[in-house]
Amino acid sequence: MKRFLKIFKVAFLSIYKNRTRSLLTMLGIIIGVGAVIMTISAGEGATLEVENQISGLGTNLLMIQTKSEHKAGINVRMGRPIDEKDFEMLKKNSVWMPQLSPLVAIGAQAIGPSGYKSTMVYGVSYDYFYITSRALQTGSFFTEDDVRTAKKYCVIGQTIREELFPGEDPIGHQIRIDKVPFTVLGLLTEEGSGGMQDMDDIILAPYTTIQNRLYGHQRGYTMILGSALSEDHIADAEMEASELLRESHKIIDGDEDDFEIMTQIELQEITGNITGILTILLGAVASISLIVGGIGIMNIMLVSVTERTREIGTRLAIGARESDILTQFLIEAIVLSLVGGILGIVFGIIGNQIIYKVTGFFIPTVGYSILIGFGFSALVGVAFGYFPARKAAKLNPIDALRYE
Amino acid sequence: MPVKKVIETKKLNRIFKNGEIEVHALTDIDMIIEEGEFVAIMGASGSGKSTLLHIIGCLDRATSGEYDLDGVQVNKLGKNQLADVRNQKIGFIFQSYNLLSRTTALENVELPLIYDRTGQFPNSKELAQKALEQVGLADRIYHKSNELSGGQQQRVAIARALVNNPALILADEPTGNLDSKASIDIADLFVQLNNKGKTIVMITHEPEIAQFAKRMIYLRDGQIISDKVIEKRSTKAFALKELEKPVETP
Ligand SMILES: Nc1ncnc2c1ncn2[C@@H]1O[C@H](COP(=O)(O)OP(=O)(O)OP(=O)(O)O)[C@@H](O)[C@H]1O
Ligand SMILES: [Mg+2]
Repeated sequence: MKRFLKIFKVAFLSIYKNRTRSLLTMLGIIIGVGAVIMTISAGEGATLEVENQISGLGTNLLMIQTKSEHKAGINVRMGRPIDEKDFEMLKKNSVWMPQLSPLVAIGAQAIGPSGYKSTMVYGVSYDYFYITSRALQTGSFFTEDDVRTAKKYCVIGQTIREELFPGEDPIGHQIRIDKVPFTVLGLLTEEGSGGMQDMDDIILAPYTTIQNRLYGHQRGYTMILGSALSEDHIADAEMEASELLRESHKIIDGDEDDFEIMTQIELQEITGNITGILTILLGAVASISLIVGGIGIMNIMLVSVTERTREIGTRLAIGARESDILTQFLIEAIVLSLVGGILGIVFGIIGNQIIYKVTGFFIPTVGYSILIGFGFSALVGVAFGYFPARKAAKLNPIDALRYE
Repeated sequence: MPVKKVIETKKLNRIFKNGEIEVHALTDIDMIIEEGEFVAIMGASGSGKSTLLHIIGCLDRATSGEYDLDGVQVNKLGKNQLADVRNQKIGFIFQSYNLLSRTTALENVELPLIYDRTGQFPNSKELAQKALEQVGLADRIYHKSNELSGGQQQRVAIARALVNNPALILADEPTGNLDSKASIDIADLFVQLNNKGKTIVMITHEPEIAQFAKRMIYLRDGQIISDKVIEKRSTKAFALKELEKPVETP
């Protein structure tokens, strides 16, 4: 035990006397660990964000739209558009979808008393608010009556309010959407600015109004949104809608659908794939930072191998045993990896916090990223600190002393 | 009372193999060195002096032959036991000092005691300080090795070789990197240590340094070709006077 303490002291002295080398080694570890934590956490954060946004759409959501196909990289709509007839038919016959709303989406310029903004305008029915479970900060929704009579009313998101009515109450005021005046009835509660898409940069208006005033003479809807009775009945609702639409579109058995139904589950699968790719991508970036950090550590260790081999020769020559040398170098490697690793973790967590503060994009520091980063760096640190020393300690003292 | 043999070698051979090429660095070395001797080893470059001293100092192993050090059969020892022999019985002094860099004289001298396993040196700092005083470096103990002159560094190395009170002091060209004045000082230091009873084996290229020893062994091509007592030993005063003689121009 007393021996171990002595060797421990030797190791610490060695770290201290070779401060520059020690610091550079630790820097490699700090950067490696920090980068891994930040990249993996960013991947997790993005996944979380996307998942939040999807569930924000409404959990029992079904989206019915015209079948589209990828042609030369763009989505081309096939078959007849989903239209009013489909909507009325579904509304009449569907058992599993009590709520249905057309959705007519257009990009438009909105002008308010104190500003303007290009935004997405969604023409929807009253049911839309149930389907997507969006609520109001102030004011009211437009009613079913307003929809039927195509009133020029609208409900706006927080981002629109900030651009068009900075510091003012928008309720009751008029805005112009592509030159058509609309009265603002309500202000949506904030969804939080997403990383991918701002859910508050939105204007909702009766779909009838949008179709009549802004949609030109295009036929049909962008899509029909439906909400299944419950989460367990999403599949039933999908099947039912499919059967009803095939029947009304007079599609013969064996022929393909001319429409597409996407459910929350499928949406999650798709985005799951996307975030999966994202995670792999970030994982690759993380691996690269690991390798870079690792090479940094390796270089510093290898550069000092000659000096250290001679040092080992000297120690052996005056009577150190192989085990004394191994203990010393193992302690040095572990201490450097440990301190560097801990600093790297701190660096990674602070980095995540800074990104959150600056961009508002929340990055949860995930536990396994700490493990991976720390494990790898410790491995590199110990491998390149310890194994060359082990090799040198096995030499004849005179060969170690003469090492070049 | 018979004099104790510190070193006894029988048919010691050292063959270096580099692929196909074999170098017979030492051939059948028979040698006895007794306690209290001061031996100078001389010979041309490549004659095997260092190789012999490394084997005697347990830094290298003989290819064949027997070697007894202070009554211990060294060729039968394992790695750890060899390390302990180096630690307890031998003080080795290198031409290039081999001090630890960025480390004070005191810490360098203390180093052999850190690896001591017998527990006989509890006051290692004091001992290191005494050893440094013995080599005349009392006022330099907290200097780092790179803050010392070559002669001072070699003195630190000598103090390190003395600190564990070894049976044998081995020096491979200890004055090889020093000027004449510093060389004479080191040689004189060896004489003083020898007078106190230390057995010393020293390699040197300089005849005037060799003259400080009591016995001279001459090597050629890995074999001992002469081994004789030095009749007229040099002293510090004599060597310094020789040094001041004007160089004769031919
Ligand atoms: N590690 C080694 N590998 C191969 N050959 C070696 C090795 N060490 C020494 N030799 C060879 O052994 C012979 C003796 O070398 P040694 O170093 O003992 O000579 P030396 O008498 O000390 O010479 P110098 O006075 O130049 O120091 C030389 O021919 C040398 O080339
Ligand atoms: Mg030599």
